[in-house]
Amino acid sequence: MAVKTKLDLNEMARIGMNSLESSKPQIIFGLGTCGVAAGGNKLVDFTREYTGYWQETGIQPQIVTVGCIGMCHAEPLVDIKLPGKPRVSYHNVTTAKMKRIIEEHLIEGRPVKEFAMGQLSDELSECEHGKLSYSWHYEDIPNLKELPFLARQVRIVLRNCGVINPESIEQYIARGGYRSAHKTLMDLKPQGVIDEVIKSGLRGRGGAGFSTGKKWQFAKDAPGDQKYVICNADEGDPGAYMDRAVLESDPHSVIEGMIIGGYAIGASIGILYVRAEYPLAIKRLEKAILQAREFNILGDNILDSDFSFDLRIMEGAGAFVCGEETALIASIEGKRGEPKPRPPFPANSGLFGKPTNVNNVETWANIPMVFEKGARWFNSMGTERSKATKVFSLVGKIERAGLVEIPMGTKMKDIIYEIGGGMQHGRAFKAVQTGGPSGGCIPAEYLDVAVDYENLQELGSIVGSGGMVAMDEDTCMVDIARYFLEFCVEESCGQCTPCRMGTRRMLEVLERICQGGGKMSDIELLERLSVQIRDGSLCALGGTAPNPVLTTLKYFRHEYEQHILNKKCPSSTCASLFLTPCQDTCPAGTDVPGQMQLVAEGRYGEAYELQRQDNPFPAICGRVCDHPCESRCQRNLMDQPLSVMMIHRFCSDKVLEGKGGYRPELGQLDATGKKIAIVGGGVAGLTAAFFLKRLGHDVTIFEAQTELGGMLMWGIPPYRLPRDILRWEIQQIIDLGVHVRLNTAVGKDVPFEEVLQKFDSVFLGVGAQNDLPMNLPNEDKPGILNGMKLLRQMNLGEKVDLGKRLLVIGGGNVSVDVARTAHRLGCEKVIIAYRREEIDMPAYPEEIGEAKKEGIEFYFLLAPEKILVEKGRATGVVFRKMKMDEFTKWGRRKPVPVEYETVTIMADQIVTAIGQQIDTDFAGDMADQFMDHRQRIAVDPYSMQTSHPRVFAGGDAVLGPATVIEAVAHGKNAARQIDHKLMGEDRLYRLQGLTQFEYSMNPPNNEEPLPRADILTIPARERVCNFREVVMCLDDQGAVMEAKRCLRCDIREGV
Amino acid sequence: MPDTATRPTAPRPAATRPLVWEEKWTLDKIVASVEDPQHQKIRLLQLAQNEYGFLRDEHMRYLADSIGTSYTDLYGIATFYAQFNLHPPGRHHISVCVGTGCHVKGAKGLMQKLTDILGIKEDETTKDHRFSMKSVRCLGCCGLAPLINIDEETFGRVKPTHLEGIIEKFD
Repeated sequence: MAVKTKLDLNEMARIGMNSLESSKPQIIFGLGTCGVAAGGNKLVDFTREYTGYWQETGIQPQIVTVGCIGMCHAEPLVDIKLPGKPRVSYHNVTTAKMKRIIEEHLIEGRPVKEFAMGQLSDELSECEHGKLSYSWHYEDIPNLKELPFLARQVRIVLRNCGVINPESIEQYIARGGYRSAHKTLMDLKPQGVIDEVIKSGLRGRGGAGFSTGKKWQFAKDAPGDQKYVICNADEGDPGAYMDRAVLESDPHSVIEGMIIGGYAIGASIGILYVRAEYPLAIKRLEKAILQAREFNILGDNILDSDFSFDLRIMEGAGAFVCGEETALIASIEGKRGEPKPRPPFPANSGLFGKPTNVNNVETWANIPMVFEKGARWFNSMGTERSKATKVFSLVGKIERAGLVEIPMGTKMKDIIYEIGGGMQHGRAFKAVQTGGPSGGCIPAEYLDVAVDYENLQELGSIVGSGGMVAMDEDTCMVDIARYFLEFCVEESCGQCTPCRMGTRRMLEVLERICQGGGKMSDIELLERLSVQIRDGSLCALGGTAPNPVLTTLKYFRHEYEQHILNKKCPSSTCASLFLTPCQDTCPAGTDVPGQMQLVAEGRYGEAYELQRQDNPFPAICGRVCDHPCESRCQRNLMDQPLSVMMIHRFCSDKVLEGKGGYRPELGQLDATGKKIAIVGGGVAGLTAAFFLKRLGHDVTIFEAQTELGGMLMWGIPPYRLPRDILRWEIQQIIDLGVHVRLNTAVGKDVPFEEVLQKFDSVFLGVGAQNDLPMNLPNEDKPGILNGMKLLRQMNLGEKVDLGKRLLVIGGGNVSVDVARTAHRLGCEKVIIAYRREEIDMPAYPEEIGEAKKEGIEFYFLLAPEKILVEKGRATGVVFRKMKMDEFTKWGRRKPVPVEYETVTIMADQIVTAIGQQIDTDFAGDMADQFMDHRQRIAVDPYSMQTSHPRVFAGGDAVLGPATVIEAVAHGKNAARQIDHKLMGEDRLYRLQGLTQFEYSMNPPNNEEPLPRADILTIPARERVCNFREVVMCLDDQGAVMEAKRCLRCDIREGV
Repeated sequence: MPDTATRPTAPRPAATRPLVWEEKWTLDKIVASVEDPQHQKIRLLQLAQNEYGFLRDEHMRYLADSIGTSYTDLYGIATFYAQFNLHPPGRHHISVCVGTGCHVKGAKGLMQKLTDILGIKEDETTKDHRFSMKSVRCLGCCGLAPLINIDEETFGRVKPTHLEGIIEKFD
């Protein structure tokens, strides 16, 4: 049947609508390439096999294939549509889930709510015709349109993707298809078509962003007897796949666009150049073209007009450069895809020398909608110069990967956090790469940018084809630059020497940097080469090849410098620069795999001492560390990370009990005669003392309190860190011969100047012991206590009357420690109030979990506003209710106050724990010269030296409240630097040579999935009235089995 | 990952052997099936590779003569496009996607693991001709990174530990 009139279109639309709104139940499978790769075909097979069973029930469902809705993170997707009811989409479907879905939803009519992602009760796209919308919907299943991934999308290009069967032309027409082609052929002259496209503001979506209408005008005006339109479907940007999705899911939209374009320009032949890597797209296009011909939508006198137009498909052969239009044309002509200089532009002299117009798939797919709803509608969306929408492929380390079509001008932070859901596994966002190998990286600072052509260009990147690769803290930016250059080297056609040779040389430089052979002059070399390559290349491949290098240098120069100067890769990616990721990530660089092997061999004492070579507190860290090593453990890729912290604790406990076996001695160097003062006997100070004494110096610790330990003693409560263990490990340091002066506060009991005079070097490890004030009136009244101060009193054993009802304000570890300790001291009701949500709390998740088990109540989204006072005593706090607003560029939502809503909490005692700051009393008058603008001690990050040449500092005093292991790293590094300065050479490594640790270097054979050992705690009921250690240790067998899970990443060929 | 040389150079045979009758017949059919062979050289080569698995020197010379161009011309095209193999491939072809989306999700580790299991690097074929391996950029399924393709089948969300199980099915 030939489609000639509008009535014919209506008739086909009716047929299409009937199949979309079928009277039979439908099982709809999303079978784009993604769906298939996720296992979609297996589900289809399973369902077909099930059919036999249905013959008993008499239900005959239709099995329907649709394309890709773009929610790749949820594939495989299966929808169930019962007649007259909305489609329900099920996500991440397995054959097991499929069985229930068929039985309960399809046969019994009850959707399986826990598997459902959402229901299609409201039209998702901007279509005018064939809208899918229902007044009735299922209960308790979200509306697909309200899911964060879809809520902000404006689906013009993706209007039919995932909704219609791509092999049904009737369904395409039902959704408004081919009406625009018909309308333009009947009602508009070619110039009118072009005027409308110019008015719409549509810019080429392939990457260059040139005005589509203007480009058509050039081709129309060019003289020629034969003209061509070409669809560039050579989508070569790694990470971009929206063209594939459109071709597989809605091929007719491209065909219709090309018909309109061919008519406007006067081309009778259109060619779709599809890359060879997209076989399914080619198949769907071939079928669509055959269908269109069948209905006289392609061929002679299409749609009963004077215009004849037909399409051909040409398969690419695997060359990225063929995405460049002149190279693409050369390839269609059967030659090597080498770009040609422009002018002459293809509009004047293109394929076979004839006027040719090349546009990207997405551009063509937009065209029918420009005519369906009008140019004015089209350019009402977007920004001033970038109109309408763009499809972005959001991929990488993002929680929800997929295709997103959003208006130009959407902020990048909303794309990453609101739509994409932030980074996977709670890792920190680092950068988003846009525009593929021609683009650049955008760091967190610029996530406020409204995405459009001009804004991204200002930042040094481009929109390009729309690929957005999200990268987290585990991605090395130098490696990314190297990766993109490698790509350009491979794909360069070779014509232009600057591109062919220049990219190669740049690659060599970057490889050298990644392998530890970099020099600072390399950076200037890269910048110089970049300019030469960019200016000397004929096409955009060479012209934009330096972009990834230039943007990573611009925003991540510090990473390059760390690779070059420190030979360190901060994301533990460049394998030549470190031994294992766990060791590299540990701030103190402890030899994790060695210790795991020793434990696996039953040699606990030696494992303990191996840890002490780099960190003198294995027992302590085994209880309170935040274990960054576990986050980079390579076993994360297989099953679960190794329980490194627990194994450290296990070894320490064994040694303390005397069951550790042989304990080698860590030696000392000869006495040097130098004297070093350590101000503050906390973690940093004790660690510095440990190493400095072993380096042979005479060390004295000045400690203001009655005992050593700092935050370990006065901050962390005994149920987390038992006092006997703490004192034992500290004593091991003192036993080396370190002098200790307790109850001696430098700055008060001993003037700082005197210390400076009597000692060769001074290390400041004074910590951040003072609480931050809330800065509210009445804060100083009785009834309000400071968290740090209170913890100190409680840990000193002083009697504190906290009443029965305690309110703690703040969300960090101090707050939770105060709460759990108070509970044990007799408070019946303990409340923690925090001004953000639970996920934002800085306290360790394990601590929060245990606090909840112990009965501590958490109130979120409350910010203190007023302190209530009665008879001169604080009795309660009025909180302003907060709600979470839009995302900031740092990935956390901003809390904003809710007007007129407050919550009042009364308490016998109120505790503030909202942050810590440094007490500057230690230096008396000299304090100012040491502090920086954030009221922390300023040090040079490499040498740990303060503004005074003989004074060094580290730990919380420098970092603000930080972790134990960071303080250990500071103490160790400061010791090395102090020693270096005094002795004229770097001697710390000599300490390692004093003791030999030998263990097996045979690769373990343990790559089958093995679960991580469970960490058990004392039941909450048994622990809330005492200070017994809450976390239980692994037993021998458990610890050895856990240690044997270590993959021994340190064993390498040739190492 | 390859070092700066991008493609393995094809060893030049000393003399090309003459074609047998069936080969000439097949290649003639290929030339006849294409509408405008002088301008569809890529298509010709694609069809020849589909038929024989890779492009033999002798075949390219024959095709060049048939359509009136030089062997160098066809050789230039064959070496420009990544799709063409100039060496016999394995029975099964593994493509490891090393696009950006897959790269940040550990594609390198997959390539390394496959090298460990099969003993070949990319662009190489196992001695028993069971597998050949190439890297490819990009398969366009970035939401399911990292991905590998074996023949026509695509596998997504692949972990290094899955690889042995996956390739077992292909003999």
